[in-house]
This record gives sequence, C-alpha cells and structure tokens, in this order.
Amino acid sequence: MSDLIVQARNIQKIYNPGKTSEVAAVRDVSLDIRKGDFVGIMGASGSGKSTVMNILGCLDRPTSGTVLLDGMEVSGLPDDELAKVRNKLIGFVFQSFNLLPRTTALENVELPLVYSERANIGRLARMALEAVGLHNRDHHYPGELSGGEQQRVAIARALVNEPEIIFADEPTGNLDSRSSYEVISLFQKLNGQGKTIVLVTHEPDIAEHARRIIRISDGRVVEDRINEDPKNAEDELRKLPGKEVKE
Amino acid sequence: MKTLRIVKSAFKSLGRNKLRTFLMMIGVIIGIIALTMVVSAGLGARQRVMERVRKFGLDSLMIRAGAGQTMGRPSGGQPTATLKLEDAEALKREIKQIADISPQVHRPQMEVKYSDKSTTTMVIGAMPSFATVWDWGAAKGDFIGDEDVANVARICVIGPTTQKDLFGGANPIGEMIRIGNVQFEIKGILVAKGTSPTGGDMDNRIMIPITTMMRRVANIDYITNIKARLKSAKEMDKAVGSIQALLRERHQLAPGIPDDFTVTTPDEVTETAEKVAGTFNLLLILVAGISLVAGGVVVSNLMLISVSERRKEIGLRKAVGARKKNITLQFLLEATAVTFTGGIIGIALGVAGSKILETVTETPMAVSWQIVVLGAVFSSLVGLIAGIQPARRAASVQPIEALRS
Repeated sequence: MSDLIVQARNIQKIYNPGKTSEVAAVRDVSLDIRKGDFVGIMGASGSGKSTVMNILGCLDRPTSGTVLLDGMEVSGLPDDELAKVRNKLIGFVFQSFNLLPRTTALENVELPLVYSERANIGRLARMALEAVGLHNRDHHYPGELSGGEQQRVAIARALVNEPEIIFADEPTGNLDSRSSYEVISLFQKLNGQGKTIVLVTHEPDIAEHARRIIRISDGRVVEDRINEDPKNAEDELRKLPGKEVKE
Repeated sequence: MKTLRIVKSAFKSLGRNKLRTFLMMIGVIIGIIALTMVVSAGLGARQRVMERVRKFGLDSLMIRAGAGQTMGRPSGGQPTATLKLEDAEALKREIKQIADISPQVHRPQMEVKYSDKSTTTMVIGAMPSFATVWDWGAAKGDFIGDEDVANVARICVIGPTTQKDLFGGANPIGEMIRIGNVQFEIKGILVAKGTSPTGGDMDNRIMIPITTMMRRVANIDYITNIKARLKSAKEMDKAVGSIQALLRERHQLAPGIPDDFTVTTPDEVTETAEKVAGTFNLLLILVAGISLVAGGVVVSNLMLISVSERRKEIGLRKAVGARKKNITLQFLLEATAVTFTGGIIGIALGVAGSKILETVTETPMAVSWQIVVLGAVFSSLVGLIAGIQPARRAASVQPIEALRS
C-alpha cells in the first residue's frame, strides 16, 4: 500500500457540465503508480492525457473521483493546501519551459524554495543546477540559454525541493532530438536515483524510454503495459551523428 | 530574508515596463509634490506667527482702544478715544499680576525735517517702561527718562533707518529735528530690529515722551494701546479677567454693553492665525488628496492590466507552491513599490519647489522631516489601497493557467 505514490479512482473531468457545450475530457480513469516507477502516458492530442496529468499533479481538480498522493486524499483539499502539496511533493516540467523572463537561471530554480520553509535557498538551487549539468549558468537569463539548457533549468526547478514525483508534460515537444535525448537521459538518471517520473508525450519513440506505458484515448485508459526493455537515452545520444556525448 | 527577496523582486518588476511604471507614478508624484509644498507653506506660515508671538512675549498682552481690534499695526482710520493714560496708571497700580506696563500713542505717518532734509516716519509717544516691556531701548545715547515724561520734554530717540535718512553717517545725538511744527533734540538711537514679520521696516521710527506726544504734537487726551508684561505667563487668564473688570468699571460700562477696548493674548493670536491657516490648508490638502486619489486609480487600473498579462507567471508561481497570500503580498508590494518610489520623487521635487518658491516670492516655507515621513506614508498608503483589487484578482488565478501558451 505505502509503495503507491499515486492512487486514482474513477476520475472524470467534464467541462461545462449540463450545458450543450459539455465536453468530457476524462471519462473514467483509475490507475496506480508505484514509487520509483517511470511511467510514460501516451495519447494523441485531445485524448485527455494532459488533463489526467494535471489532475494527478494537483494543478486541476477532477469533476468526480478521488486522487490519493502518497496515501493522502487530495481531490477535496482547498487551494492553499493543494499549493503546499505541489510545493513539497511534486515537481513540474512543462513543454514551453515556463521560466520567468528577465530572471536568472538561479532565481528561477529558487522559486519553489521561496514558497517553502527551507533555508539556504541559494545553495540548494546551485546544487540543483549542478545536478542537471549546468554548472556555470547561474546568472544567465533564459533568453541567453538554448532550448535544451532552458528545459534543464526547468528540471532543476522541479528537483530543487526534493519532490517524490516529477510530472513532465511533453518536455521534449519544443526541443531538437539531441536536446530531447539529453532531457530524457536526465529523467532516466533521476529515476535511477529513486525519483518517480510521469512523462506525458505523444511521441512513441520518447515513450519507449519509460518502464511502464499507459495509452489514453478519448478520456479512457486503453492500454497499460510494462515496457520490458526500455530504451536508454544515453545509447540514443551515442547513435546521433556529430558531437560526443557531454556528461 | 525571504521578505527581502520579495521586496527586491517587487522593485525589480518596476523596471520591466518603464512607460507603464512612469504612468503609474506620475499621479502620485504630482500629488506628493502638492502635498509637500502645501504642508511646507502651512508650517512656514505657522512658524512666522509663532516667531511673532515669541518676539512679542508669551508673558505679555496687549490692550487696544475700541472693540474687536486685532493684532497688527494700528490703522490710519478714525482713532478711538476710549483708552486714557490714567487707565494705564490704574492698571499698573491695581492689577497685581502685571509686572510692568507700557502705554503708547501712535502717529503712523509724520513729516520729519533736519535742515534741508526731510522724511516720513512713524512717531510713537511712550514711557521709559517701553524699553523694558518691549525689550527695545537705545543702542547709543539714552532712552526716554522719567523726567522727560514729567517735564513734557522735547527730546526724541530715533530708529537707525530714520537716522540714515536724515543724517547719513553723521552722529545725530544732540542735533535738533522738527516733527510737525515742534523742535526736538535727539537723545539716542534705537537698537536695530530689522524687518517686521509683516514686512515693514521697524527701524524707521521716532520715539518721544508720551506726554509730549499728547500735549504738543497730537493734542489729544487718549492713547492708542497698552502693552502689559505679566509677572508670570501662567497668570494670563486671571490677569485678562481683572483687566477687563477694572477697565469696564473705569469706563462706566453697564452690564450688557460691550467692551470699548480689546485685550489680546499671545494664545489668541496663535489661535486666530491657526484657524485662518487651517481652513486654507485644508482646502489645499484636499486638492493634493484628490490628485493622490486620481493617481491611485491609475495605479489600480494599470496593475489590473499587468495581472491579466502575467496570468501565466502567476499560474507558474502557484504551480510550484505559491499560496494566495504569497501572490497577494507580491502584487500589493509591487503597487506600493511604484507609489513609494513616486512618493520619494515627489518629496524631492516638492522640497526643491518649496525652496524655489521661498527664494522667489519670499513666502516662508518650512520643510521638515515630518513632511518627508508624511509623503512617504501617504504614497505607500495609496499603493497599498490601489493594489488591493489587482492583488485579489492575481491571487485568484488558478495554477492551471501556467499551462496556457
């Protein structure tokens, strides 16, 4: 029981309920995610995969159904309690990076710490930047970084508060293939260190790096399988022509 | 440490959209300039009155002939003949709170001649006690003596300006001058007092014995006013009551008939001045206040626009754990940072404006630290109030907004 980080039961998300414009984004999804797993959620655009992730990540509330995170019921919590859960338990990585403009990489990474009770903000943020391989980019602004570097800053931000689980919504959607594999490689490394990763993507090739693949279509889980032989992003990087792999 | 960080980021956000920040500030700047200058002018006027009262003496009071006379220079109109020299003598004799008394007779404009030179000056008939009661005696030579009053002597003491007008640099003591048709011997020169608070030259005057003034120059049997110095400023109220009772009795005023004299105390002068200045200042402060309110409305509106533009940023902050109060505080601080900065600029310009006004128009302006504090507090308050609605709207942004592109 306690090795389940996510327990979702019969979650539904319906927009404009009761009106003619009613849309069911998520019809009925139940799923458990074990601690330390690497789950890829696949689906075409509009399938409801992002909505599922937003509900599991406490960014959104289900219309009905329950979500337990680390054994705690979260679907009925008030806004500020949810904020606390997101701050302590969850890290987010978005497709468009969502870094604050005109704010240094370091300050961006510090953001979750500013809203926590932790001290030594600067030191923790610097450590997180080092963990994603950005040693000397502390005082760079997002505009001065490449897409891959920006996404790694975003991953450092997701990591900095030592969350149990990281939700990544199409993290490679805006990246070239080299940067994409670098980002996935980072996720695999973090997963190796025990972090639970939930990766939403519509690219089958990217999903194949996960250890479990869930396919969502039309608001329902249509496939849920263990990936016996996940791809290794490091290997993919080596296969790419050109530069050697950077550590 | 985190609070410092939030304050720092609030100021930093001002630099993001400089034109908007400037527009937000301008109303507050103008309001605070107005406020600073109005308050400086008010304080300046108050200081001038206080200075005047202090020079007059907090332990002194003034008795004037006629009802409803206010402090100031005697007017050139129809003189009131109700106050006699005997009244002054009776007051000194019978009112135990009075330490000393100085009755005076004023003639505002009289022609004075020395050989072929002439000038126009104020002539005052006074007693030797003038020197102590007004703290204003002779700098050179002698002041009026008791024997001069008793003998109705034709001697005078002249002010430094009058001396310069008639004699240039020469020593005038012992010289004869003509006041009206009477010859006077100059006995002394008054201590220089400079410009009066109302702008008149206090050194253009001639003092003569009060008896000489009444019998030989003006040919009258009444006096203009009496200044009394009390033994203690604390006995002011008691003294005023006794003086009024005694003068009413001497003037045989039946009950119900108003006083034919006016007693003015330093407190009354201060009160009157403050009442007049207060009404005037209230009006000006109202104008400054309206400008601040208008500035606040602009800040509020532009902040609302800023909130709609930054929904994604707010969503992200919420997604990584910001609570409603964090977001509320951030936007309140941003609004306050704008108006506070505007306030500081306004204070600086207002102080500069006050100094310029003081130099150019000679209006007394008093710039004090209270004005700086007042400006800083008011401008911050405007931001705080203007920021409430935008902050509330920002706090209600949902974390899912972070995902909008």
